[in-house]
Amino acid sequence: MTDGKQSKAKSGWSRRDFLRTTGVAVATLAFPEIIISCGGGSSTGTPTGKIPQPRKGASIRLLQWSSFVKPADAEFIRQATEWGDANGVTVAVEKVTGDQLQPKTAAAVEANSGPDIIQMQYGWPHLYTDACLDVTNEVNILKGKLGNVDPVNDAFCKVDGVYRAIPYTIVPNAWTYRTDYFQAAGVTSFPTTWDELSAAAAKLKTTGKPISQTDGHAYGDSLTMWNPVLWGFGGKEVNADGKTVAINSKETRDAITWAQGAVKNGLVVHPEWLDPDNNQAYHADRISGTLNGASIYIREKIEFHKYTDVTNNAAMPSGPKGTFAMNLIFNHAVMKWSPDAETAKAMLLHLMDKDQYLKWTTVAAGYNAGPFVAFHSDPVFTADPKLKAFQDVVAPGKWPGWPAQPSKKTSQAQTQYIVADMFAKALANGGTGDADAAVKEAESRLKAIFERP
Amino acid sequence: MGTATRPSPGVAVWRGRRVRIFEREAPLGYLLLGPTLLILGVFLLYPFLFGLYLSLSDSELGSLGKYIGFANFRFAFLTDSVFRTAVVNTFLYTGVTTVFKLGLGLAMALLLNQVFPFQRFARAALLLPYIIPTVLSYEAWRWMFDPTFSVINWLLVNTHLVPYPGPNWLGVPANAMAALIVVNIWRGTPFYGIAFLAGLQTVPVDLYEAARVDGATRWQQFRYITLPSLRPVLLVVLLLSTILTFADFQGPFVLTNGAPYNSTQLLSLWSYQWGIPGGAIGLGAAISLVLFPLLTIVVALVLFLLRRPE
Amino acid sequence: MAVRSEVVPGAPSFGKLKMRKPGTGRVIGDSRLGRWIRIYIPLLVFILVMLFPFYWMAITSFKSASELFDFSVSPLWVREPTLGWYQHLFTQTNFPRWALNTAVVATISTVISLLCSILAGYSLARLRYRGADSIGWGIFVTYLVPPTLLFLPLTFVIRDLHLFNNLWALILTYPTFLIPFCTWMLMGFFKGIPRELEESALVDGATRLQAMMRIAIPLALPGILAAGLFAFTLSWNEFLYALIFMNDSLVKTIPVGVTQELIKGDEFFWGELMAAALLGSIPVALLYSFFVDYFVAGMTAGAVKG
Repeated sequence: MTDGKQSKAKSGWSRRDFLRTTGVAVATLAFPEIIISCGGGSSTGTPTGKIPQPRKGASIRLLQWSSFVKPADAEFIRQATEWGDANGVTVAVEKVTGDQLQPKTAAAVEANSGPDIIQMQYGWPHLYTDACLDVTNEVNILKGKLGNVDPVNDAFCKVDGVYRAIPYTIVPNAWTYRTDYFQAAGVTSFPTTWDELSAAAAKLKTTGKPISQTDGHAYGDSLTMWNPVLWGFGGKEVNADGKTVAINSKETRDAITWAQGAVKNGLVVHPEWLDPDNNQAYHADRISGTLNGASIYIREKIEFHKYTDVTNNAAMPSGPKGTFAMNLIFNHAVMKWSPDAETAKAMLLHLMDKDQYLKWTTVAAGYNAGPFVAFHSDPVFTADPKLKAFQDVVAPGKWPGWPAQPSKKTSQAQTQYIVADMFAKALANGGTGDADAAVKEAESRLKAIFERP
Repeated sequence: MGTATRPSPGVAVWRGRRVRIFEREAPLGYLLLGPTLLILGVFLLYPFLFGLYLSLSDSELGSLGKYIGFANFRFAFLTDSVFRTAVVNTFLYTGVTTVFKLGLGLAMALLLNQVFPFQRFARAALLLPYIIPTVLSYEAWRWMFDPTFSVINWLLVNTHLVPYPGPNWLGVPANAMAALIVVNIWRGTPFYGIAFLAGLQTVPVDLYEAARVDGATRWQQFRYITLPSLRPVLLVVLLLSTILTFADFQGPFVLTNGAPYNSTQLLSLWSYQWGIPGGAIGLGAAISLVLFPLLTIVVALVLFLLRRPE
Repeated sequence: MAVRSEVVPGAPSFGKLKMRKPGTGRVIGDSRLGRWIRIYIPLLVFILVMLFPFYWMAITSFKSASELFDFSVSPLWVREPTLGWYQHLFTQTNFPRWALNTAVVATISTVISLLCSILAGYSLARLRYRGADSIGWGIFVTYLVPPTLLFLPLTFVIRDLHLFNNLWALILTYPTFLIPFCTWMLMGFFKGIPRELEESALVDGATRLQAMMRIAIPLALPGILAAGLFAFTLSWNEFLYALIFMNDSLVKTIPVGVTQELIKGDEFFWGELMAAALLGSIPVALLYSFFVDYFVAGMTAGAVKG
């Protein structure tokens, strides 16, 4: 019986798809500039549809990861509830950990029922496209007020020219380091190139507090470290066409050679570390620097007060082919099974309203950055100059799989940690792993994904 | 289940007539099985058949795909190199842990079968690793293996067994596999121990006495009396534990999730990886089913051996 | 049969050992030193290794945040014990509610599984009809189905029954992995009860059902207790289904609530996590310390006659 329902739902979708496609085609003929505004090229995109209105008596459930900045979660829930009370809507915000969000989302998508709004991490809108409602209209409304969407959120939210999620936030990843150890080692400022970082790692090794980072299966820190290294030396997993695997290149090998050199110098990589481990090591005075969200610094500042004065943050170093960064990207999708999709959209629009949003980022204290142009001047990053680094890494940010557009395939390559595994393999045994074998294995794994029908 | 309405007229016929009673056992037999078959049918058989179909289709999350024959299995065996690693690791993991659980479980049972003070306390205490929530105990192990704050390493270093900083438990392929295996043994041994203890209690004491009178050594008693009497329980426990270890997901997911670079990748983790984060549930279902035929043969064999004339 | 009748009633499992004549104890026991080497020392090693993680959990849960990461002095002891984590657990989280949910789910699904397994076990062990053997095997073989394969298709069933976010979703799905083992255990018990007892009742005019209710089931009580213990433990510990089917904080069970709400973003909160793990283990640990001998007895019957 389930099969029947499923296929019915599916054919219902394809008809709606057809209508929408025709609609877009007609619109393109009539108003070419709309398409331009949808493409994120113009910041004056005028709202093309009506503003969604909440329905009194509706009830909205929202599923999110639980951020570590507890007050920020509380503020988010406060805002949502406040809006709900004002509009006669019951709002429930559910929080789960990052690695539990995906199986829950998958089950909801499969069962075609569940929360009205789900937080989409990274490229999920490309994995669950059919389950996410078209929110192009709402994104355009936001663009009209807030300016353009940051390119990474834009690439993740937009599938085949249609927005499947409303841009929500960026968790910027930058380097957090101990100024006292750096000074003691004779490094006066944080390195600005990867080669300088390698040299600095050698000097810090002598202090007994190394610069450390994960190269394991940590779904945040491992990706935000090794993708930018790969890109900085000109390497890439796949060509811009999203089909041709291009990992086996001289550039990739350059990146690996650098990493092996850095590890031999004194950069310590931990394939067993998950996202919390570098925070833990830093707070316990075991390492002098690591790449992370702002959480280490914030927790020192608000809670521990032990190394606050000797902690600073720095943006990503550059490679020979430029400066790259990768950040955690979260967006909100309104799910197709929601009985009150309009109410859900209205709520998300309210939460993205500039005043509301800035109240939230203030409480988040630098852990979150806004994904629209209007948020680039968020005072939270200037109030404390040490947080500026986290604003600086937003612009050079890219997505896994870049320069190809995000897709199912790039998401699969990302969640299978192919790039991180390649580095980890080459960096085994103190940076003396078999680089050639590592590259070839990554190539065969990427080909398995990208050549799969 | 259509027989459900029938027994009432039958009741009168049964009274006092033994011959008819045995002829009439079938309807009641099926009736009593009813609730079990209903629950297993709705919540197990149906999802299982559905899973079978998924493995033969190109389904993705949220969209039921079309039938594609054995293409998913072909992909796994021919193209997916990590899959092959996972198969090897799964066999290694199951094999090594089973041998240790057998040996240690037997030792534990022999110890617990002795008379000593606080015997009941010891039995309950040794069962603890098996009965507490897996997710929680694995989090505790993760904290014990923590790269920076491993209490195990602190002990090893401070007893001068290894030099500072001690082994990196989860960061080196061989160590990480060993860690997974150690924790599984820790968790699984009590079940073997209690089952073997149960088996030991079935051995009549006079058998040992007779053997001693005949001058049998302790080893001979163990070899020719104890071990054979453990056979039935051994088979059942082995069966259950092998099946459950093959499919073990929670523990490895918490401890390593395949890292470092897939050296601890297991079939259960890998099928999850493709099916849920990767969205390819058809392929994920196929990977989780790969061992099904093999396990079925093993189980059929064991059940055949188990079967004894009543 | 003789063995079983010693084990089952009242004072389980000690029976056989108590029966040993005084003289034989010496042969097994040897000298006092021998007993230490053969029994006490290995036993202590076993207990030390098996229980160390629990000790570590306990000691962690009493440490303050700063002490947790201080390995300059022995981490095996706590210098300034604090109840802060426990206090936080009970005042700032829904832990008491999760414990209640877990208890409710575990109890009801255990009762359901026992009812099903008693009936099925009796039917398979006692009644003669075609297909009984294959059905018995079939029920046991369900353990072959990998759980990672099941949970997605199960979401359809749960959705169609409108049970998402409802404890009944767990109460009804848990028996799928409880019934097979319980049935197997109880089959062993029913097979051990002499047929003559029931048959004489039948001759005296009882119906088959009456014979089952008044004779077989009371005699199988120790086995039912053992099976119930086993089922309760597994449902207390279950994680995957509870993770997928429950959404509200108020309907979560302990394993899900603890891992979901005590591990936040990119930080572990070890003290609180360990406090919750310890508290979550205590109920089952208590149950076992009271009933462990029944459990052994239940396994014995299953093993002999299964």
